[in-house]
Amino acid sequence: MHEMALMAGVFDIIRQYTTDLSDKNVTRVTLVVGEMTNAVPEALEAAFEVHAKGTPVEGAKLVIKDIPLVARCRSCGWEGKTEKHVFMCPGCSSFGMELISGRELYVESLEVE
Amino acid sequence: MEIKVNTGILSANEQKAVENRKLFKENGVFAINLMGSPGAGKTTVLEKTIDYLSGKVRLAVIEGDIYTSKDARRIEKYGVPVEQINTGGACHLDAKMVSGALSKFDLTGLDLMVIENVGNLVCPVEFDLGEDQKIAVLSITEGDDKPMKYPLLFRESGAVILNKMDILDFTDVDLEGLRKDIHIINPDIKIFEVSARTGQGIDQWAEWLTDRVKDTVK
Repeated sequence: MHEMALMAGVFDIIRQYTTDLSDKNVTRVTLVVGEMTNAVPEALEAAFEVHAKGTPVEGAKLVIKDIPLVARCRSCGWEGKTEKHVFMCPGCSSFGMELISGRELYVESLEVE
Repeated sequence: MEIKVNTGILSANEQKAVENRKLFKENGVFAINLMGSPGAGKTTVLEKTIDYLSGKVRLAVIEGDIYTSKDARRIEKYGVPVEQINTGGACHLDAKMVSGALSKFDLTGLDLMVIENVGNLVCPVEFDLGEDQKIAVLSITEGDDKPMKYPLLFRESGAVILNKMDILDFTDVDLEGLRKDIHIINPDIKIFEVSARTGQGIDQWAEWLTDRVKDTVK
């Protein structure tokens, strides 16, 4: 349910980047969302619609790029996709895995016309 | 025309969290962000913890709640400074709300700030408040599947308090399996088995917390 608050952050960023473009419309917003964030794509899309209404972003396409959860073993160096947040190394069964990716949450780019 | 942005969605919150963290550090205050489901026993654990730390650690409390000040009124009875934040519908505290509450305390006379978040296993985890440590409260009556269903909270927390241990025999919880799941998600996390109702295990948790507070340089 915090996707409304996250999307408020997205629209703050959009406003910062489009202040000098008042005659233009935003046609596409691209977000990068890691697997280990608690942001649900459907909820982000619903929040996007609500925030976009009546702004130059209304009607824009929301693109969400998913980033898989990848971890590296601190003991044996195994690195790869981690299924279902099980941080047990498939190589040596140790528990010490550090995250390589999966916590991303940012606005990558905007398309304006 | 494409505009490259590459700006974190939570960057405004993170900036505010950095300010809060600096404020805690400057005043030698250790800060924890207490999270868990509604009904997990966060406030009751906190009450017992305040009792135990009385006279040893100077603490204050920020209570997060959607609409009410019921929890702040409970904490007031213990004679510790408390500020209520009402989020007005939002499912989590953010760094800006905490910053506003912090301005109402005299931090110089404090060792520990406890921020009790809104009851929720999902949303609060994403919002850094400037705390030193996230602490999860999980009551065993919620079921032993919760860490695997909500892994981020357990991945990010320094300790998990397993509450309501006094009624373990009345549940179907597989305690060893639960402990294993928590350690698979986060091998470094400390697990405390407590009952806020009977007081069982509160001493071990509170002593661990006291050690963290002592490590914070005044």
